[in-house]
Amino acid sequence: MRKEYDAIIIGAGHNGLTLGAYLARSGLDVVVLERRHEEGGGLCTEELTREGFLHNVHANYHTFVDLAPPVADLDVRGHGVEYVRPEVQMASIYDDGTALLIYDDLDRTCESMSRFSAEDAETFRRLYTEAHGFVDLLLGTLMYRPPMSVKELTRALATFGVEDKTEFLSVKLRRESINEFLDQHFTDPRIKAHLAFHGAICGYTNDVSGLAIGYPLLVGKIDNWHLCVGGSHRLAHALWRDLAQHGGTMISDAEVSRIVVDDGRAVGVRLSSGEELTARKLVASTVDVEQTLLEFVEPSEIPAELHSKVSNEIQHKDWTLFSVHLAMAEAPQYEAAAFEPDVDRAWVVNLGYGSLDDLNDDWRTVRGGGLPVPRPNAAVNSLYDPTDAPEGCYTGLLRQFAPFSLAGSGPGGWEGIGRHYGERCIEAWRRFAPNMNDDAIIDWVPFTPLEISQKMKNMVRGDWMMGEITLDNMLDERPLRELGQYRTPIEGLYLAGSTQHPHGFITFGPAYNALQEIAADLDIDPWWQNI
Amino acid sequence: MADVYTPDWYAAVRTAINDAVSDLADLPDGDWMVKVEIVGDGTSPYVAEGDERHFLIRIDEGRCDWYREVDGDEEGVRLNYRFRGSASTFDGIADSLVDPIDAALSGEIKVKGDMRLLMRHARHVAVLLEAYAQGVDTTWPEGRPPYEGGD
Repeated sequence: MRKEYDAIIIGAGHNGLTLGAYLARSGLDVVVLERRHEEGGGLCTEELTREGFLHNVHANYHTFVDLAPPVADLDVRGHGVEYVRPEVQMASIYDDGTALLIYDDLDRTCESMSRFSAEDAETFRRLYTEAHGFVDLLLGTLMYRPPMSVKELTRALATFGVEDKTEFLSVKLRRESINEFLDQHFTDPRIKAHLAFHGAICGYTNDVSGLAIGYPLLVGKIDNWHLCVGGSHRLAHALWRDLAQHGGTMISDAEVSRIVVDDGRAVGVRLSSGEELTARKLVASTVDVEQTLLEFVEPSEIPAELHSKVSNEIQHKDWTLFSVHLAMAEAPQYEAAAFEPDVDRAWVVNLGYGSLDDLNDDWRTVRGGGLPVPRPNAAVNSLYDPTDAPEGCYTGLLRQFAPFSLAGSGPGGWEGIGRHYGERCIEAWRRFAPNMNDDAIIDWVPFTPLEISQKMKNMVRGDWMMGEITLDNMLDERPLRELGQYRTPIEGLYLAGSTQHPHGFITFGPAYNALQEIAADLDIDPWWQNI
Repeated sequence: MADVYTPDWYAAVRTAINDAVSDLADLPDGDWMVKVEIVGDGTSPYVAEGDERHFLIRIDEGRCDWYREVDGDEEGVRLNYRFRGSASTFDGIADSLVDPIDAALSGEIKVKGDMRLLMRHARHVAVLLEAYAQGVDTTWPEGRPPYEGGD
């Protein structure tokens, strides 16, 4: 192993690889170090059940395709990534046998919605159209730039008179929950439940005050959900290829134990193997802030107050996901197809949330460490990507909102109940799709919140978002105001993972934004800013 | 009085902008290179359908340094912002019929560049836009918006 590089990046998830690829394209000698046996982080695709069934263990939904600059800048498609944008993006099936569909076409979505409420369908059309108009502006302002403060943002919106010029965008959204936003604008409980569920599955919990501020952006891309053909790991592989083609190196099974600091400056890393690598220009960590600043550096190397805040004030999501991965001989056939035939072609199906109260009740249960009566969401990727299962078969994924720490037994309690809760989730699915019986299900495995944190150390307490999404943990306050601009008190040490703005999900944003600051500090020509 | 999209008009716009911002405090530091791309949409008589007219504007310390028509992207010029939209939209802005913020929010004008600076200097940007839209006594020799057949 070589010992000296310009840039050392910790973590080969999509942020680490993205940052590495940009820096390598900028002429830096880059190494990306990965603790696990392969690159990808949350872009993890494995044959968890049977040979030939490709299960996305973490990231399944790619919603920023063609919105995130790195997709084009790093020629992701040129490296072999193929995306499908399913025609029937998402559905909600309700206990009364009805179903609401989100298509890749606004007219068809509104037509489906109008079966519940014509008024709400028209409201949704206006909301979508308005949000779609300014989604580029919001992305440019909020996602793919180092963050502004909420205060700066709201002051600008007021100066531009945005409140008078739009129906839905308003400075008061920063004081409202998504529930409140939906209650103000929509009437049908099932439509509200679907729209709230969409927010939640994007990490924006519908009952949290202030998150309405981000909701128009979510609606603006509600039908931009993409499936990575052949499994999400293909994206990681493409990013690695780009890194390698531009002279960068990715080393797997390379666990960092220490960031070497000399006179207040990050100058390299030490691996668990004892080897030391020198960084001539920078070290960037894309793993969680706790590992980076509490485990990798000595307490004396950062201010005591910051050490205390990182120890005590980093906010993680108060719910996580329990998953069931399935190998199937049949696709689900929903009874709700009698109401809406296209539900059988929906990529993602939300099962049973019929009102905001249904969701709110489950959040209360989960926050108390309880297991909700399962209302999983079901994704069958094979409907749109037949390559992810043997011919004629299907790969399925059930996801259920769940606590990390179980009341009475803590996180360890999952070891004893994962299989049982998985059976309950499948039963819940079968209630809506009776053919999902033992003949249809060839094999299945549960994947518990505990396993999330064991497999992905940086997903602290099963936090797949790598930091709660709340008003005081977003923009320049994520994960703390002192760390909100990707720099740390240690010169040459940057934070470029999903703990940073904007957040987790496959956004590329943390790496892209950290890149801007690194480029400014190192006087790197920002060739990617092809305005 | 100046005919729209003529050198006299650019000069008048420049004067209007600089007069408008002269009283503002906290003008942005540094210079911005701004490109405006006006795309013929079959309704404006000033840009034929399928044609484009491009304008390059240099803002220095918040004031308009110069404003000129260009053929396309110029080699060696690094843009800070690019505004692109239909001719009827830009004509409408120049004639105070279309609100430029509305046009940006609705996506009629696509904006590329660091939006944070525009947000941080919102007051300056608002004054600048107002001067562009209302500060020049524009004449319309080929016809004035709104155009027949336009939206």
